[in-house]
Amino acid sequence: MTSFSNKTAIAGYGATEFSKNSGRSELRLAVEATLSALDDAGIDPSEVDGISTYTMDNNGEQEVFRAIGGKDLKFFSRIAQGGGATCAPLQQAALAITCGVADVVVVYRAMNERSEYRFGQPMHSLPPTSDNVVFAYHGLSGLMTPAAMVGMMMRRYMHETGATELDFANYAVLARKNASTNPNAFFYGKPITVEDHQASKMIADPLRLLDCCQESDGAVAVVVVSAERAKDLKQKPVYIRAAAQGSPAGALGLTGFYRENIWPYEECAAAARQLYAQSGLSPKDLDAAIIYDHFGPSVFPGLEAYGFCAKGEAKDFVRDGNLEIGGALPINMHGGQLGEAYIHGMNGVAEAVRQLRGTAVNQVPGVRNMLVTAGSGVPTSAAILGVD
Amino acid sequence: MNAPVDKGHNAPCSNRDFDFFYRGLEREELLAQKCDGCGTLRTLPTPACGHCHSLNWSEAKLSGDAALFSYVVHHHPPLPGFPAPHPIVVADLAEGERMVGAMDGTDPASLRIGMPLKVEFLRRGDVAAFRFRPA
Repeated sequence: MTSFSNKTAIAGYGATEFSKNSGRSELRLAVEATLSALDDAGIDPSEVDGISTYTMDNNGEQEVFRAIGGKDLKFFSRIAQGGGATCAPLQQAALAITCGVADVVVVYRAMNERSEYRFGQPMHSLPPTSDNVVFAYHGLSGLMTPAAMVGMMMRRYMHETGATELDFANYAVLARKNASTNPNAFFYGKPITVEDHQASKMIADPLRLLDCCQESDGAVAVVVVSAERAKDLKQKPVYIRAAAQGSPAGALGLTGFYRENIWPYEECAAAARQLYAQSGLSPKDLDAAIIYDHFGPSVFPGLEAYGFCAKGEAKDFVRDGNLEIGGALPINMHGGQLGEAYIHGMNGVAEAVRQLRGTAVNQVPGVRNMLVTAGSGVPTSAAILGVD
Repeated sequence: MNAPVDKGHNAPCSNRDFDFFYRGLEREELLAQKCDGCGTLRTLPTPACGHCHSLNWSEAKLSGDAALFSYVVHHHPPLPGFPAPHPIVVADLAEGERMVGAMDGTDPASLRIGMPLKVEFLRRGDVAAFRFRPA
């Protein structure tokens, strides 16, 4: 079987500021991040011949391409599943480049998610697409928001593992601690305590406000090229060692309740199996991770699904300080989506690039291999990135 | 414009795989699909049987008896027709399948995983609906 492992690399990344009101169009955010990523890589925009993004991104490939003065776009693809998409465009880029379909692939995600629309609101359900009729079937019972759907999963997780709200508070405190020393984070200089978490208002019991990611405006882009090309460019290549999607039997969009285990777990485990097989690495080979935190408590089954601790033991793994910088598996050093911003996981990809280059503000010493994950509780994706 | 098609229900978003479920609620019946090929029950509708691939199925009336498998209590944002805080549950049905149902009208503090449930029918505006109550 042809392998794409280590044959492509992230050569550049770019981002806008993260805010609650960007003051400009989403397309402009996408273009700014894309041009910034290309400049970072030292690649002229006219060389871009591939684009991959999320189906939920509102910016047409051809419009981004027009704005950057593109010449000949040969590959454009989109991945569904909201934040479950995060790492899949990296896989698309790696596949396209390894197969010779494209040479320079830009991945972007740009959104005015706070100032122009809000994901936390009840989901709309017209027209009757295959996804919408499922949302409506659950909506009839008042299950209408991502927080409530993940809360349903986490209640069962708590019941089966003994994890408590105080365990979940530990992650929220960690994310805000990391964000507090990251000038790009919305919550820069604003750490919280366990008491703050416990005092925050209930959103979808067991999820509190401080368990929820932010609503954000902003954009992130990365540029993927062949490993050979990347070695001749400005930045240290960040190799795509593995990238996978996962949607096992019983997976649904935030409502996978019709199978034995309803935790936000099975999709991640499916992606993990592929990642470790592709890369030849194991969880102990990973120096740090970006674990998707649309809702902080989902980090717990995520740590288990990706093999960092046994099923049901994340509460102890977190309580023992393993996620701190200096711990066994530092995660979300940028502050995660609770602390930095919610750009559908793409800001986590950018943080992994910084960590692997050694240029992050909350740098983990000697990082060589990192896991990056996407939204859980939905068909998902993940990647292992690394440097020589 | 064609005249609106009478689907036999007022559910806001349905298709021909789901219509039977909402028509059942109009008659105060909780329905699932039962595969004509192998007899497998499925609650969340889908056009084919994942086991035997038959496209043929019949309506099967569920007892509405269940046990609470998991729950969430929705607080925010406000949802039309559901005064907060209101619980929603995943229920293990007596017939062996799972089903999502509302539990508004029951004190959230009284909920326990494993507690027995029974179904209750109601209308939410123009829409025929159901919810679970403690059995």
